[in-house]
Amino acid sequence: MNRLHPLSAVAYGLQYGFIWLWVPMVLVLVLGGIIDPISPTWFPVAAPLGFAAGVAYGVGYYYRFEYGITPDTFDVASGVFARRSREIPYGRIQNVDVRQGVFQRLFGLATLSIETAGGGATEATLNFVSESEANRLQEQIRRRTADAKDRRRKRESSTADGRESIDETGEMVGEGDETETSETERSVDSDSTDPSSDPTESRRDRAPAYEQPRRRKLFDLESRELLLYSFTSFRPAAAAAVLGLFFIATDTFLQLLVAIAQPVGGPESIGEGTTTNYGILTLVSMINGIIITYMLSVAYTFATYYDFQLGRADEDFVYERGLLQRYSGSIPVEKVQSVTVTANPLQRLIGYAGLWVETAGYGPDSNGGSQSAVPLAKQGRVHRFTENLTDVETPKFRSPPTMARRRYLARYSMIAAGIVAIFFGIAQVTGLERWYLAAVVFAAVPPAAHLKYVHLGYYVGEDHLVIRRGFWSRRTTVIPYYRIQTVSTQRSIFQRRLGLASLVVDTASSRTFFWATPTIYDVDLEDARGVQQASRKRLQSALRERARDDDLGLSVDFT
Amino acid sequence: MESLHPRIRLLWIAQGAITAVVLGVVLALVDQWITDVPTVAIAGVAALALLLGIVYAVRLYQVWKFELQNDALYLERGVITFVETAVPFVRVQHVDTQFGPIERALGLSSVVVYTAGSRNADVRIPGLTPDRARDLQDTLRELAVESEADDAV
Repeated sequence: MNRLHPLSAVAYGLQYGFIWLWVPMVLVLVLGGIIDPISPTWFPVAAPLGFAAGVAYGVGYYYRFEYGITPDTFDVASGVFARRSREIPYGRIQNVDVRQGVFQRLFGLATLSIETAGGGATEATLNFVSESEANRLQEQIRRRTADAKDRRRKRESSTADGRESIDETGEMVGEGDETETSETERSVDSDSTDPSSDPTESRRDRAPAYEQPRRRKLFDLESRELLLYSFTSFRPAAAAAVLGLFFIATDTFLQLLVAIAQPVGGPESIGEGTTTNYGILTLVSMINGIIITYMLSVAYTFATYYDFQLGRADEDFVYERGLLQRYSGSIPVEKVQSVTVTANPLQRLIGYAGLWVETAGYGPDSNGGSQSAVPLAKQGRVHRFTENLTDVETPKFRSPPTMARRRYLARYSMIAAGIVAIFFGIAQVTGLERWYLAAVVFAAVPPAAHLKYVHLGYYVGEDHLVIRRGFWSRRTTVIPYYRIQTVSTQRSIFQRRLGLASLVVDTASSRTFFWATPTIYDVDLEDARGVQQASRKRLQSALRERARDDDLGLSVDFT
Repeated sequence: MESLHPRIRLLWIAQGAITAVVLGVVLALVDQWITDVPTVAIAGVAALALLLGIVYAVRLYQVWKFELQNDALYLERGVITFVETAVPFVRVQHVDTQFGPIERALGLSSVVVYTAGSRNADVRIPGLTPDRARDLQDTLRELAVESEADDAV
């Protein structure tokens, strides 16, 4: 078993020291109110005591934290008083991620986290190991996961009455810049049945550790694409950050806003000026707020996706990105559940789109197990990538019946009526005049309903279900039938009146925790039931086919 | 299609009654601490909640159906939103039988089927007799093992 990097002892010590510092302080404060002899003058003694105890605990944590690589599992044992030892089978690992913050990069440290499909959190976090150790672990785990898979396949092919398996990797060759053609040309089966003939296998045996993976570049985000991505994507987190800052430093912010609004007719200071002054201040501040939020969002996206690289190592995707904080991770291709193409209105305007892959694990971004495979590229390229990756035919989308549009019309009208009602309410309380002008929101209802309607679409393909929805963030999800977990037809009371239904297609990807589960909205009940039946049938036949062909279902070299 | 045990209505009515009582208590507290609420209104609201609860329970019992089809467990349920779900046997991760205190008092239990999915990750069939629940659990387990797929997540 190995320990973490010695500097982690310092980090944990300081961390727990500062947390535990407060325990005796609070105790003194509380007890001081009850028992007379205890008084706040004890602070200088109590605080260092708490700090020392915290440091001791932190150092203890370091000494009691061990991890190790065993042939079948990755083991982590931790806990100072209550011990927990955890064994993670390689076959169950979804992603292995390495994260490096600014300070960690200064000291050559990294945080490694391992995700599996189960549970709601990261399965194991190594806080911190040295950079080289992180890379070694990542590579080792990745390799052993691949080996576990190979072993499973071997077992299966031996039980599959010696039926000849289809050479799946053979199809992937054909790119001119292939460096190790012999490596990719080998079929997985010949690899597992005759390891001695395989150059990589024997090399693996000679040098089990520290070996650099054979990486092949699949996609690099160019500067132009990075800039376009930064400027065309919007992060709600930026708005939250601005609001947070505003609450922390309200006074400074207010002064700044007043100072900016003053030259264009804002009030001299808060508490002076006319209603017009305040109107101008509000307007200017809103514009300021939007600009600041947008700039923050641009900066955040830029820093996060700076120098984005996607590559392959064996049958895993490996990616790297980040300016200040470096992320790197690996995603086994066989764990990919579905693939989504996203584009917001701005990106659609300039003809760009992004490609995401969803796994069942939890990603480092806390946005679920969804990883950006291609943050942004020309639409045509992204569509080609998607088709190469999933082998889906170009979808011919079917639209829901026009009845659906009527539904959205009614729905948005109700929202608009609600807004007008709110204005009416405000008018009753504050004496706001001409509240009925709020009725202009009704003008937005027809276009909104229409836009929602035209972006809905679905395609029942040979091996995939393709679902498109959303105007602001249009997502086109490609779900292979063999990834379907459950299918449900849903009809609310409104839908029942119109004879419509929604079909919810559930997969194991946890991205759906943040994005809604892929749903075909408001199609005719007959169609919904038909797609449900078809999906069920094709799930069964796809599973049988996969068992027979030992097919990965996805091509790693999709670019 | 198989229906639930009729006694499940009592469970749902009991749940509705509990909600009605809670609503009544909250209103009574509002009456006590914040503003005057006429006793008639409190009683009326509680009675209405109870009535709605009963209607809901009866209707839910009428629509709740399930069936073991050749490849999947198929369920139909829902009063406001009617949902038809198919849970393929290959996707079943594990199967539980559960019963809460009221269920136990009524001599009922539930079967919960777990999948690796994200939204309908657990599908519950309530209102089964303990024997039927055990039976169903065994059947589902056998069917799940029989149709096991290797592409577990």
